[in-house]
Amino acid sequence: MQKQSVLYTLFAILVVASLVLSGCGGRPTTQVANGDTPVSGNTPQASQTAIPEKKVATLIFTQEFDNLAPLYSSMWFVWTTWQMFDHWAWEFDVNNEPFPVLVTEIPSVENGGVSADGKAITMHLRNDLKWSDNVPLTSEDFVFTWQMAVSPQNTVATQYPYDMIASVEAPDPQTVVVNFTDPFAPWLANLWHGILPAHILSPIYAADGTIDNAEWLKRPTVGCGPYNFAEWESGSFARFVRNDNYWGTPAKIDEIFIRFVPDDASQTAALKAGDADMGTFISYTDVPGLQDAGLKIVIEPSGYNEFMFFMVNAGKSHPALMDVRVRKAIALAINRDGINNDLHFGLTKTPASFWDALPYYNNPPLTAYPYDPEQAKALLDQAGWIDSNGDGIREKDGVKLEISHATTIREDRQDVQAVMQQDLADVGIKLDVNPVDDTLFFSSYADNGPAARGKYDIQEWSDGPLFPDPDIYYWKCDQIPTDENPTGENWFYLCDKELDRLITLQSTQIDPVARQATISQINQLFYDKVYIIGMWQDPDVYAVGSRLQNVKFSGVTMFYNIAEWDLVP
Amino acid sequence: MTRYIIKRLIQGIPLLLIISVVLFALMMSVGDPVATMGGRRVTRAADYERLKRQLGLDKPIYMQYIYWLVGNTWTRTDVDGDGVAETAGTRLGILRGDFGTSLVNRKPVMQVIGERIPNTLILMLTGEVIVILGALVVGVYSAIRQYSTLDHVVTALSFIGYSLPIFFIALMSMYIFAVLFKRWGLPYLPTVGMFDPQVGKTFVQVVYHMVLPVISMSVVSLASYSRYIRSTMLDVLNQDYIRTARSKGLPRRTVIFVHALKNASLPIATIVGLDLPFLLGGAVVTEKIFAWPGMGRLFLDQVYRADTPVVMGILMLVAVAVIVFQIITDVVYAWLDPRIRYD
Repeated sequence: MQKQSVLYTLFAILVVASLVLSGCGGRPTTQVANGDTPVSGNTPQASQTAIPEKKVATLIFTQEFDNLAPLYSSMWFVWTTWQMFDHWAWEFDVNNEPFPVLVTEIPSVENGGVSADGKAITMHLRNDLKWSDNVPLTSEDFVFTWQMAVSPQNTVATQYPYDMIASVEAPDPQTVVVNFTDPFAPWLANLWHGILPAHILSPIYAADGTIDNAEWLKRPTVGCGPYNFAEWESGSFARFVRNDNYWGTPAKIDEIFIRFVPDDASQTAALKAGDADMGTFISYTDVPGLQDAGLKIVIEPSGYNEFMFFMVNAGKSHPALMDVRVRKAIALAINRDGINNDLHFGLTKTPASFWDALPYYNNPPLTAYPYDPEQAKALLDQAGWIDSNGDGIREKDGVKLEISHATTIREDRQDVQAVMQQDLADVGIKLDVNPVDDTLFFSSYADNGPAARGKYDIQEWSDGPLFPDPDIYYWKCDQIPTDENPTGENWFYLCDKELDRLITLQSTQIDPVARQATISQINQLFYDKVYIIGMWQDPDVYAVGSRLQNVKFSGVTMFYNIAEWDLVP
Repeated sequence: MTRYIIKRLIQGIPLLLIISVVLFALMMSVGDPVATMGGRRVTRAADYERLKRQLGLDKPIYMQYIYWLVGNTWTRTDVDGDGVAETAGTRLGILRGDFGTSLVNRKPVMQVIGERIPNTLILMLTGEVIVILGALVVGVYSAIRQYSTLDHVVTALSFIGYSLPIFFIALMSMYIFAVLFKRWGLPYLPTVGMFDPQVGKTFVQVVYHMVLPVISMSVVSLASYSRYIRSTMLDVLNQDYIRTARSKGLPRRTVIFVHALKNASLPIATIVGLDLPFLLGGAVVTEKIFAWPGMGRLFLDQVYRADTPVVMGILMLVAVAVIVFQIITDVVYAWLDPRIRYD
């Protein structure tokens, strides 16, 4: 009996322990209100802040941040969140046009902000800028940001485009002069996404030789945006509260609560149940249900398009793909509009070019090759690919028209693979489909990544220019990966000398009109030579609840006007 | 018994070393943490080379393992890429208590794991207690009322529960008790997270948000445990000594709970002992669907990003727990069955 009572006691302890742990509510968190001194922030404080009048907007992110520090992340969700607490120098509006934020005007040749040779950019900062701890934000912060980006001791996610810069000068507190080594056209889309506070980080850099371990990188409590970072609980949520020391017009919503929900179906349920005011990266299949539930769906072109990339390389690809007629026949044989209408509920369109989301550069606008299987058959016949033995597969010189295709295991991609397989079979092409786990598919050349090694005749993923800049530098010949150049990014293994020349030219053209003309030439070249087939435009899809007002999204980021967002009952 | 425990603990050391070698080698084939860095496009060539060098990922696998195991304070690294190894290593290695730094968020691994363990234990311990208690009630009742109507109903429900995948139960329960109940004007449960941001993270809120995930993850285990308990109880209830106890006139409650259940507990202790260490690993599916910030989601996220230090930390933690709980299970065996002796 004594042992039995011990058993019961053990169970009781387990129950009590779990309840005590529940009471702890996870790890104690620390909350920082408006950049003030951190306060202990467990349950009592949380309860105190729950006054009914407080406007709290709950947003769902399907991915959690890796960190929040500018320079230290490649994640889109992090980039866009910087705009809440750490403005970009200029941001992009609903039309993807830049507008000044920290600067008084966008530098241009006309206003003297861009030198005639395109090597120097002069920026004039607003004179009322300040960090949330009331320290003025000056040109020294810009100089420090550049220094940290290129410091070899900092493990920043990317040094681009700061490693194109020879020097950054601060002739006075409101003037920043950026000197590029060579003319660098894509500066507007890529420079100054978030500024580092020199007054906080420079002493740490001076002491440690790196800012990698600075607390500000994990908890950027001082910023220059309309909101201040308050807390981030790993795997659960991040909270941003209104910056009462903001130099601009104060935000209307008191608190932005970002919840990390990795599962699409759960996000949809949370939105339908009213547990969130906004969802991100909504699956196309969930759109009708969310609309029925009263949510507004916003589809914003992001610059990305789903493409099939042909392997046009004599040493790697199927011999048929070296013939432009075969590539064009494939484009004509696949019912891409049908895919967009049936599988994506008509929410996406068939892209004709890399620059569909940048109308200025997709000019004159191209039209995607239509679905025309008869013309496809005729082209294949012309190219000498004939089904002579009646097995349904064309052949030439004893080589069958069997083409390998690979993409990731994402469900809609596998659906599309099945459709394409059937469409191509109808014109006598056998498509071997290979769905590959994305981490393996995109692993590096050194790790024998299939995409990096150009293992398949056709590879498919979502890609685009350095949006909102039109640059596509990674298509150049010197970007083809080899054992000597294993980090090359031209995984298409295409070396077209004319394309190479044009891509190099546009990257140095400061004059927008001249650059537009060059991009148009590239656009036409891609189209005529059918190096790629656009499958669907890959926009960002948001669901916005009825309480959330004044929400506008840019194709670049989602928070450019967050200070104007409001909540209504 | 003490000697036995010490002997088992010592035996566990080479076992952990072998496990660590195998897991580390497997992690190397999971993916490349620098390939995209979580971004939409591949990492630029110059950044790729720099990050590989700075993070020590350009070293051969065996050297990366040695650094992970014993640290790199005895060597220097070329961080700035000038060809000269100038920076002294700072990693102490797992043998000196340093599990390394996450490649994703640059936090110490133990901090990353420490942030998630309480959330996982809250969920998993509650679920485990509910499963064990529920399974005992259902299993014992089914055994002593074999072939009764209720036994048939419970048996049918158990098979249904056992057949349903957790993700289906989770999503269906979320849709019914959160979305539809709200639509129908009934009291409804929350869908995701640990609390309502408008209210704050209170005890009541956490319990409220635990209801659906705990129910979802408990259904399958409850079904299997109860079948197991029913089966072992039936075996024991048919033993001669139980008939003897009954014929001696012992109260029915004493026969069932003292003589039968205790002996039926031996195999149950085995499965509970096997389950407990995996509580630390969290419930991958449940945590993902309910956006519960536990170890299961951490593991999944970090595997996706090929964050070797964090994944190795989690796996080694679970491996140690498995060894320790196996020893505890053996001790419990001896306590439950005096015939078992280890000395």
